[in-house]
Amino acid sequence: MSKFDYNKLIDNDAALQSRSIFWEPEIYQDELKQIFNRCWLFLGHDSQIPEAGDFLRTYMGEDDVIVVRGEDGEVRAFLNACTHRGNKVCHAEWGKTKAFTCSYHGWAYDNMGELAAVPLEEAIYDNLDRSKLGLVPVARVQNYKGMIFGTFAEEGPDLVEYLGDMAYYLDVVLDASPEGMELIGTPFRVEIPGNWKLPVENAIGDGYHVAWAHAGAMRVVGTIGQGRGESVLGIGKDNTGFDDSGQMQVAIPPHTVLSTLDGQSGYALYDNPGPCIEYLEQVRPSVVERLGDVRGNQLLGSETHMGVFPNLQIIQGLNLLRVIHPKGPGAFEVATYSMADKNTPDEVKDIIVKHVGQTFGTAGILEGDDGDFTEAITHSPNGYATRQMKGWLGMAQGRKMDWEGPGEASPGIVNELCQREFYAQWQRTMLAESVNEILPKKLAKKESANG
Amino acid sequence: MAKKQKIAAVGKDTDMETAYRIERFLAAEARVLDEERYDDWLAMLDESIVYKMPIPMNTYRRNRPGKSSICETMIYDENFEKLKQRAAREDTGMVWLNDPATHHIRTVTNIESFCTDEASVYDVRSKFTLLRSRRDKDHISHTGTRKDLLRDTGDGLKLVSRTVFLPERVIVDKNLNMFF
Repeated sequence: MSKFDYNKLIDNDAALQSRSIFWEPEIYQDELKQIFNRCWLFLGHDSQIPEAGDFLRTYMGEDDVIVVRGEDGEVRAFLNACTHRGNKVCHAEWGKTKAFTCSYHGWAYDNMGELAAVPLEEAIYDNLDRSKLGLVPVARVQNYKGMIFGTFAEEGPDLVEYLGDMAYYLDVVLDASPEGMELIGTPFRVEIPGNWKLPVENAIGDGYHVAWAHAGAMRVVGTIGQGRGESVLGIGKDNTGFDDSGQMQVAIPPHTVLSTLDGQSGYALYDNPGPCIEYLEQVRPSVVERLGDVRGNQLLGSETHMGVFPNLQIIQGLNLLRVIHPKGPGAFEVATYSMADKNTPDEVKDIIVKHVGQTFGTAGILEGDDGDFTEAITHSPNGYATRQMKGWLGMAQGRKMDWEGPGEASPGIVNELCQREFYAQWQRTMLAESVNEILPKKLAKKESANG
Repeated sequence: MAKKQKIAAVGKDTDMETAYRIERFLAAEARVLDEERYDDWLAMLDESIVYKMPIPMNTYRRNRPGKSSICETMIYDENFEKLKQRAAREDTGMVWLNDPATHHIRTVTNIESFCTDEASVYDVRSKFTLLRSRRDKDHISHTGTRKDLLRDTGDGLKLVSRTVFLPERVIVDKNLNMFF
C-alpha cells in the first residue's frame, strides 16, 4: 500500500490540504492508479463521432486513448498502442477511418479494434493468433444522454450509479430538449505548468477569485464593461451568501454544483447577450414542462458550474465543457469545448463559440490569469519549508441553506464547499482499497424536500 | 522562368516603394506593441478589421471537416471592438501577471507584398517570432506565419485583416493574451 497517509494529507474538519499533494511525484503515481485507473472518465460526446468509423483521441489519466464508433455503430475505446511493440496506432486527434495502421510494421486494426492485417503474416508467422491481438479495450464504455464515459475498472459502479443524483443537474444541459446537447468545434488545448487538481477545483467552486484574479478582464467584459450592473459572478457582497441572496454551492458527493439560481446570469459576461436570452426565454416554458420548476426556472440560464469527479467540468452560461488531463505532477493539459443545445439557432451558437474563445479559450482574457497562480501553488513547494505548509478552504464551513434539489447546499457562490468536497472525494478515492469503495456511502434521501 | 514565378508568387509584386512602406509599417507596428502603446496600435487598424488565429487541424490528410460537430475553432476571432476590449484590459492596471511588467520582443521577417484585385489593398505575408519574458525566468517564444491585408488610405496604411498561424496544436504556454 501507499507510503502516504491520506487521512493526514487532507484534514476535512479543519479544511486543510497538505501542499505536498500538488508536488510529490509518488502521490501523483498513486493518483494515476487510484483515481484515473478506476473512476469514470469523460471520453467524448456522440455529436463528435456520429457515423461509423468516426474517431477521436483523448486521455484517461496519462493513457492515450482512441474512442471510435465501429462499423456496427457501437462506441468503443482502446489504448492507443500496437499490441506488437507498443507504438501508437493513431496520431490524428479525430477523423474517420476503417483502420488504424501502426506506422512501425504496418499492423492494421479495424474500427472495432480487431487486428485485421499483419504484413507478410503467412510467410513469417507460425504462431500468430490475430483474434488475441486486438487493441486493448477500455474495460467499460457507457453513455449518459450523449456523454461517453469510460473506466479501466472491470468492476464497481456503473456510470449511472457513479453519476448518481448529479444526473438531476446534468440534465439541465443534457436533456433540456429531446435532441439534447452537442459539443461544437475542435477543442482548445493548452498545457500549463500546474498540478491537475488546481484547475479542477478552481473551475468547480472558486467564486471568490473571480472579481480579484480576473479584475482586469472583469472591468472590460459584458455586464460591467457596458455598465449594465455592478453585481455579477462574485462581484459585490450580494454574491457572498452573507445575505442569503439565493445563490448556492451544493455537494452531491462525489460531484459538486455551483449555481447563481437566477435563471439568466449565465450570460452576464456576454457582450451581446440579447439573442441568447431571447432564445433562453423562448425555450424556458418547454424546459419547465420537461424538467420541472426548479430546474426550468432556477437552474436553466444560471451560471452553473458542474464538477464531475475527477476531471470534468460542465459550465452552463459560459457554455463550455472542460477536461483536465494530468501530465505529471507539475503540468496538466486542458481541453475546452463550446457546448449548446442542438436546437440552438446558428446565430446564438456563433455568439457562444466566440464568447468561449474570448473568455476561456487559449487566448481567453480570463483563462490567462488562472495559469499564473496555478503554477506558483504547484511549484513553490519545491522548497522544503513551503512544502510543509497547508492550504485552507474554510469559507462558509457549516453554513447551510434549504434547497429543493438533491445534495447538501450552502449559500452563496463565494463559498468553498465545492472545493472542500473535491478534496474529500480525492481523499476517499486515494484511500479506497477496492473500486467498490470509491463512492461515498449513500446519503439519506431528502424525501420531504423533494415532495 | 515565367512558369516558376507563377508558382512561387501569391500575386503580382507591389512596386518597391510600396513594399518598403509596408515593411516600415510592420516594423513600426511591432515596436508600438512592444512598447505597450495600444492606442497607437489601434490607430493602425482599419475599423472593419478581421483578426483570426485558427487552431491547426491535427487530422490525417484524407480527413477534413465532415458531418460531425467537430470543425475549425478559432483561438482569435476578433473584430475592432474586441481588440479594443483586449487593449483596454491591458490598460486597466489590474492584470496582475503584467506587474512587474511583461516584456515582449516582436521580430517580423520574410515579408512579401503582393497586389490584389483592389488597387489600394495589398496581400502581405510574413513570419514572426514573439518573445515574451516576465518575472525571474518566465520566458517563452512563439513563431508563426501571418497573412495580412493592408489598405492604403489617405491616412496611411491600415491593417484590414490578419490571420495568424501558430503551428502547435497544443499550446504550451499559460496564455496567449498578446497581440501577434
